[in-house]
Amino acid sequence: MNKKINISDLFRAYGTIFAGIIIVIVFSILRPDAFFTMGNLINITRQISLLVIIALGATLVMCVDEFDLSIGALASLGGVVAAKLAVAGVPILLCFIIPVIICFLIGLINGWIVTRFKVLSFITTLAMSTILGGFTFWFTGGATVFQNIPKAFIIVGSKSILAIPLLSIIMVILTFVFWFIMRHTAFGRKLYAIGGNESASQVSGIHVKKYKNLAFALCAALAALTGVLMASRLGSAHPTGGDGLFLQSYAAVFLGRTVFKEGVPNIWGTFVGAAILGILANGLTILQVPTFMQDLLTGCIIILAVIIQKMGRGDSK
Amino acid sequence: MLLQTKQLCKQFSGMYALKDINFEIAEGEIHGLVGENGAGKSTLIKILTGVYSIDNGEIYWNGERVEIHNPRQSRNIGINVIHQDRHLIPAFNGIENIYLGLEYEKKSGFAVDWAKMKKRVDEVIADLGIDIDLTLPASQLTPPQRTLIEIARGMMTECKLLILDEPTASLTDKEAEMLFETIGKLQARGTSILYVTHRMDEIFRLTDRITVFKNGQMVNTVNTKDVDKDKIISMMTDNWTSQKIDSANNFGNTMLSVKNIASRDGIVKNASFEVHAGEILGIFGLGGSGRTELLECVYGYRTKSEGSILLDGKHIENNTPANSIKNGMVLICEDRRGMALVGSLSVKQNTVLSTIDNYSKFGVVNESKEKADTLEKIDTLNIKTEGPDQTVLQLSGGNQQKVVFAKALLSNPKVLLCDEPTQAVDVMTRFEIHKLLRKKAEEGNAVVFVSSDLKEVLEVADNIQIMANGCTKELLKNDGLAAEQVLACCYAD
Repeated sequence: MNKKINISDLFRAYGTIFAGIIIVIVFSILRPDAFFTMGNLINITRQISLLVIIALGATLVMCVDEFDLSIGALASLGGVVAAKLAVAGVPILLCFIIPVIICFLIGLINGWIVTRFKVLSFITTLAMSTILGGFTFWFTGGATVFQNIPKAFIIVGSKSILAIPLLSIIMVILTFVFWFIMRHTAFGRKLYAIGGNESASQVSGIHVKKYKNLAFALCAALAALTGVLMASRLGSAHPTGGDGLFLQSYAAVFLGRTVFKEGVPNIWGTFVGAAILGILANGLTILQVPTFMQDLLTGCIIILAVIIQKMGRGDSK
Repeated sequence: MLLQTKQLCKQFSGMYALKDINFEIAEGEIHGLVGENGAGKSTLIKILTGVYSIDNGEIYWNGERVEIHNPRQSRNIGINVIHQDRHLIPAFNGIENIYLGLEYEKKSGFAVDWAKMKKRVDEVIADLGIDIDLTLPASQLTPPQRTLIEIARGMMTECKLLILDEPTASLTDKEAEMLFETIGKLQARGTSILYVTHRMDEIFRLTDRITVFKNGQMVNTVNTKDVDKDKIISMMTDNWTSQKIDSANNFGNTMLSVKNIASRDGIVKNASFEVHAGEILGIFGLGGSGRTELLECVYGYRTKSEGSILLDGKHIENNTPANSIKNGMVLICEDRRGMALVGSLSVKQNTVLSTIDNYSKFGVVNESKEKADTLEKIDTLNIKTEGPDQTVLQLSGGNQQKVVFAKALLSNPKVLLCDEPTQAVDVMTRFEIHKLLRKKAEEGNAVVFVSSDLKEVLEVADNIQIMANGCTKELLKNDGLAAEQVLACCYAD
């Protein structure tokens, strides 16, 4: 097969990455002093770390062709539970692990309702999100948890190793781990198969329900971890602290789908998507663009990326 | 000439899908179009119906040059198509589906006039001799019923050229008869028909002229009465001729024994059959007799409410697809794209889908072994593909089906349940599949073979189990059996 490679094909196939590079170049030209510096680049990795981690989970659920709208509420819950445990004097390690386990179980419940009763995941997780929001509010009395948080609790969120923030390191490790899982394990293959064609996967002997449940559970666990890390970073936990990550993370996953030409949710794509969103937010802040303009631009870029990718696929018309 | 094409060309990523096609259809003729899968038949249809644009060449309609850019234009000049993949909206009922793409009838300008629409549809259906409950959504109709709905839709507008793409692929003989009758009526009215099929007997029965495609090029157009089946096949396939497959008749142990099985949804009511090592058991019944459902029930995809299954002497308690595969039983589904293949995955990933756990150690997939085994299957089954990493949907129908078989064979099945395994595949692949099934049987496995093509069942099966209304009936030995005898059993009581 002789495939001609020309620039427009290349642009279509990897348009999202090009767009990311262009964004970096533009910011670098506009503010060479503040944007393209080592300090700021490291800063960006810390800023996107939470978004990347929660979006990894969203990627898994989207791989099996479902949605989890409760990840924001799960993150809020995870952060609040961790902070409360820390205040109560529970060992720090347990403060990190317990919320993750709790949310893993909540994710299993999400999956169970979706697979057992065939309720749309959209509805199930929307309802779960509401339930969790209510619970978190009751649990905290609606107040931010910040008093008497032990110093040890905020180490992970604030410290660096060799000038690289711990959060950034955790982000990179998790990204590699989940890339490996999705790319090189039977588990990942099965998730992609289920997302591609559920009936065929079932006929081929894959335990569709089991793997869907696991995808929901892992997604919820990652959301909780994100919430815990956020609490550790801020030294406080707000009952709606994670909610803002929800839309951002799906934006990252959708951008990520456009990174490679297969057009399926994928780990590196999500990473790139989150990075682009983070770089954009960072650069625009440096340029002192008001927040509402940032939202405006971000939305437009996502739509543009998806359109370019759609045009690049398919052979004719 | 009603339709003429001149030097029509179409390329996909540098490869010719059609090259220099000079093709014509006369007014009022039934024109057969044959060729192996991948010969370019579907591409031509898609060009005529405005789905694909053309790279080069011209199309003339009634002597005037036309450009067809989209399906609506195609329909407006009077071309209608009925595809092998049925294009219906599952949640819409018969009337809504038949009115798809047509202007709805209106009462006083805006409110939809359902009564009037129903009346028009009823007229068309009555004219065609079709009997279907139009209030049911398409999702609840059987595949043949859906085809009939599509045919009715094609007849709703002024249609000068009707393209039928494998229209009888999943129809039983009786339903096909109904279709042929309709085709006769249409021809009498002066409608031209482009009839695309793999079924030779239909080509010879219906058409006036036949055009043969091979590898994207037109071999020739001939008058049907001047040629015979062997001649056409040799035009299609470089003088390849079919061989009669002989079967041994000494069977071994009972590999699969199904007793009084019933499905929870009540479609399978009471079915029992046995199949032995070395045997190909054909299951034949009219449309709606529950053949597909029976196989799904045995395999564990459809919930069973009653009955027992013995697989190689072992009682199967919890029958799920995963358990069936583990116990050595696979199902080749009728619905290839819907239930057998994951279209977004590669040839390799589809091939190992059922056996992926065998390729992984601590969950990590051994990709070189996976690739080696896939290459081996590509070689032994003669799958035409760019390689194991090509997306499976890019293959032609016959080659897709071979991937389905590759997947099934990798789990080393003792029992193969095959539901319409040769549906919409080319003559060559069909022959290869028949040979493969016979080989598997000779190796001591058991094959259950379901097809709505009675001649095929007679060609392949050692014994034929008749099925009607969800129940198994007579078991016939395929020894000088005539089609009439089998049909007589189906139509009994």
